[in-house]
Amino acid sequence: MSLIVRKFQSLVAATVAATLLAGCGGGTTSPAASGEASSAPAGGSGETLVVYTNSNGEGRGEWLTAKAAEAGFKIEIVGAGGADATNKLIAEKNNPIADVAFGLNNMYFSQIKAEDVLEPYEPSWAGEVDKELADGETYWPLVKQAILLGYNSDKFSKDAAPKDWTDLWTKDEFKDRYERVTGLGTATAQLVFAGILSRYRDDSGDLGISDEGWKQVEQYFQNGSPAVAKTDLFARIQSGEVDMGQMPSSIIAEREKSFNVNVETVIPSVGVPLAVEQIALVKGTDKKEQAQKFIDWFGSAEVQGEFAKQFNSMPVNKEAASQANPEVVDFFADLKQQDIDWDFVQENMGAWVEKIELEYMT
Amino acid sequence: MSSTPVRAMARSPFVLVVGVVLTWFIAAFLVWPNVNVLIATFFPDGNFSGRAAEKLFSSQRAMKALGNSFLLAVALSITVNAVGIFIVLVTHYFRIRGSRILFLGYATTFIYGGIVLAAGYKFIYGDKGIATSLLLKVFPGMNPAWFSGFFAVLVVMTFATTTNHMLFVANALKSVDYQTIEAAKNLGASTWTILRRIVLPMLKPTLFAVTILSFLTGLGALSAPQVLGGRDFQTITPMILTFTNSPTSRDLAALLAVILGLATVLMLAVMTRLEKGGTYFSVSKVSSELQKQDIQNPVANVAVHVVAYLLFAVYTLPVVLIVLYSFADGAAIQTGQLSLANLTFDNYVRVLTEQSGLRPFLVSVVYSALAALIAVGGLLFVARLLQKYRNWVASAFEYLLHIPWILPSALLALGLIISYDHPNPLVGGAVLTGTTVILLIAFVTVKIPFTLRMLKASFASVNSSLEEAAAIMGAKTLYVFRRILLPLVLPAAAAITALNFNSLLDDYDTAIFLAHPLVQPLGLVIKANTDGAEGTEGIANTFVYTVLLMLITGITMYLVYGRAGRRSGRKRMPAVPGTGGTLAGEVPPASATSVFGEDSKVPAVPAR
Repeated sequence: MSLIVRKFQSLVAATVAATLLAGCGGGTTSPAASGEASSAPAGGSGETLVVYTNSNGEGRGEWLTAKAAEAGFKIEIVGAGGADATNKLIAEKNNPIADVAFGLNNMYFSQIKAEDVLEPYEPSWAGEVDKELADGETYWPLVKQAILLGYNSDKFSKDAAPKDWTDLWTKDEFKDRYERVTGLGTATAQLVFAGILSRYRDDSGDLGISDEGWKQVEQYFQNGSPAVAKTDLFARIQSGEVDMGQMPSSIIAEREKSFNVNVETVIPSVGVPLAVEQIALVKGTDKKEQAQKFIDWFGSAEVQGEFAKQFNSMPVNKEAASQANPEVVDFFADLKQQDIDWDFVQENMGAWVEKIELEYMT
Repeated sequence: MSSTPVRAMARSPFVLVVGVVLTWFIAAFLVWPNVNVLIATFFPDGNFSGRAAEKLFSSQRAMKALGNSFLLAVALSITVNAVGIFIVLVTHYFRIRGSRILFLGYATTFIYGGIVLAAGYKFIYGDKGIATSLLLKVFPGMNPAWFSGFFAVLVVMTFATTTNHMLFVANALKSVDYQTIEAAKNLGASTWTILRRIVLPMLKPTLFAVTILSFLTGLGALSAPQVLGGRDFQTITPMILTFTNSPTSRDLAALLAVILGLATVLMLAVMTRLEKGGTYFSVSKVSSELQKQDIQNPVANVAVHVVAYLLFAVYTLPVVLIVLYSFADGAAIQTGQLSLANLTFDNYVRVLTEQSGLRPFLVSVVYSALAALIAVGGLLFVARLLQKYRNWVASAFEYLLHIPWILPSALLALGLIISYDHPNPLVGGAVLTGTTVILLIAFVTVKIPFTLRMLKASFASVNSSLEEAAAIMGAKTLYVFRRILLPLVLPAAAAITALNFNSLLDDYDTAIFLAHPLVQPLGLVIKANTDGAEGTEGIANTFVYTVLLMLITGITMYLVYGRAGRRSGRKRMPAVPGTGGTLAGEVPPASATSVFGEDSKVPAVPAR
């Protein structure tokens, strides 16, 4: 009996402590909680624009924040990978936090647009860009990027090198000499497959692709050397593990230097897929006017030109191209762009990635 | 300890209050967001779609990867226990020369992990690694890529995940009653018999808890298989992550996560059942402090020393190399060519002079500390109640609190967003998205299962007669909780807090979706500087951040253990009168508890 009483007493004692603590824990659920957790909700603090991007690495974010400040824009960059930024924008559509998003390619933006997250806006520089590279309504093109097959030019002469992706698995000399991806989470990998599968469009085939097309995918995975986590393709080329693989155009020059290798790229007769990075206004922003001004500023020939010079990119803005690295401009001038039906690709990419991950990746 | 009727439990106001708060928390932050996200995933248009199961079960790759994850989980449960118990005994039970140094070596897993750890092992045993080149000189015919596949993944993950043993099993070992051991010795029991029949059985609750954690680590293995698994041993987690990121395939991710979750719950049920009914505290009237044991057999003694120091080398070499490589340029890191002449501070200068500077570090430290303290503080009471009352209501609560183990953190974050992006009565009509609180909530919730498991295990080794004895001697109930119960579980609670803190510091998966744009934690900065285009700087930055995080986590562990160790060491001298435990029974409750409290403290300082 006394034991029960004591147990009861000890519980009362603990109750007091628990209530105190629970009060603490519960209190944190109101926005006005302690210290760090008490700053204002997003969007409420002055005129700071929240900008989502996947193009903030390698100093881009810092550069842009500083340049924007000079131009009178206070911005806060939130960096995330392409897929993460896309999912975040879609998840937040009922209570948007971002005001502007940029850097994501046309595939991601068409996905975001389909979820009704973007507000139509025609920037002041709309006339200086090729409208074909975007939807001409909600998102607008900034930077072009070619998705290429590159090879070690110290090992292969131009004649001996592959002429197209399909050579990699149909010709014995390239088998196991090329790096193949181990996941389709990245934009570059998805664009490579968009380029390959688009050639085998067949509306009666599985997911709009003929059996022949899926066979190519199967062969790609069977004959390639799987990528190694946290080991760059260029590092593997240097050590002789592989001789070729996928690469976006903007990184080649810097990597050649860092890893001391020479790389040439393949231009298949059908052309190469282009990824076009875009900018857009987020629907529901309470700083619409400011955000529009920012878009007008960032996409202008002057700023895009400076950005291109700084980061070796290829601006879409025709007037900005004069400021870009001449080698880059020449490369894109000669480049044959692959004709890809992006609506078809966007509609099917999710299902393609799923099928490839489940059935063909070994 | 026997089962308590629900009605009796509900009579206590303490239980009622904790119950109400707990019910609200579970409903608002564990059940509702995750039900929402699961509904959105499995019923995309309001109709259930069985497509996910069909797709998954017909995929050879998915089934093989799932099988590999399970294989790894089961294998790890065994190997981590074997290695973990060995290093705990070597540092805390047997008299081994240099056990203090050994402890520091084994403790390196406290401060780092993930992809860099896997890379560290690759620097040594990979095809261009140091050990491999040495071996090739001796056996020119061997395969340089010997360290890959299941074997390599298992080895690396085994050595990487003994942290919980070093903290919690070591802690439990200290509360083993030495008098029982002495009695057994007098009756002629061998070292081995004492270990098997007396010491290990006392450690059971903690061993069960850490076994569940090892199982879970194996199921969720990500970076070690990616770096070392090669073609033949890939696990399911990379696929779950890819599918989580693709809205059209999210149902597959959720289904896979639920399968892994159910396996975890099953494991939990088995362990809970095994744990039931045992007595895991000393029943002797007067227990005394554990003393280190000599290994009588000279051959065994030498063998144990050799193995202990070999393990020491295995544990410390990767850390040394990671620190060295963090001064090398990115190309050298990836091609494995380290030359001392090329080591510079460039990487550190680049990382530390960024515009964002130290702010993200501060943000992460504050968030992680708050979350770690709230999780442990809140669950102290919950764990005690769940350990004390055994009935279906308590079990239901316990299982519900494990929900965060079931879903990947990206899905938990998405669930919170879609549940709280509009005024919601569950949180008093507030909108949580876009505030700084939502990330704190997520941080607290993801740490609940681990915190609860370990706290519950440490309460299981508390002898309830202590509390009763103190009460009989007239101690007030609050006093009993504060001076008897709390000191006994405090070492474990401190360890849990420190581990929670460390693991949240570089979180990316949750923060990417929930962080306030003006208060961005470190994980986002790390990701921006290390990912995407991997390149040379990215890799070098990864190593620099790892070393910086090692510093922070190292300091945390020192603050929790190192200092506490020295303080208690000083206090212990006068407090424990040599071997004379006989007086302890007559000592008033206060000093009795202080002796107990220190008994179970501080792995950092080996007992004399």
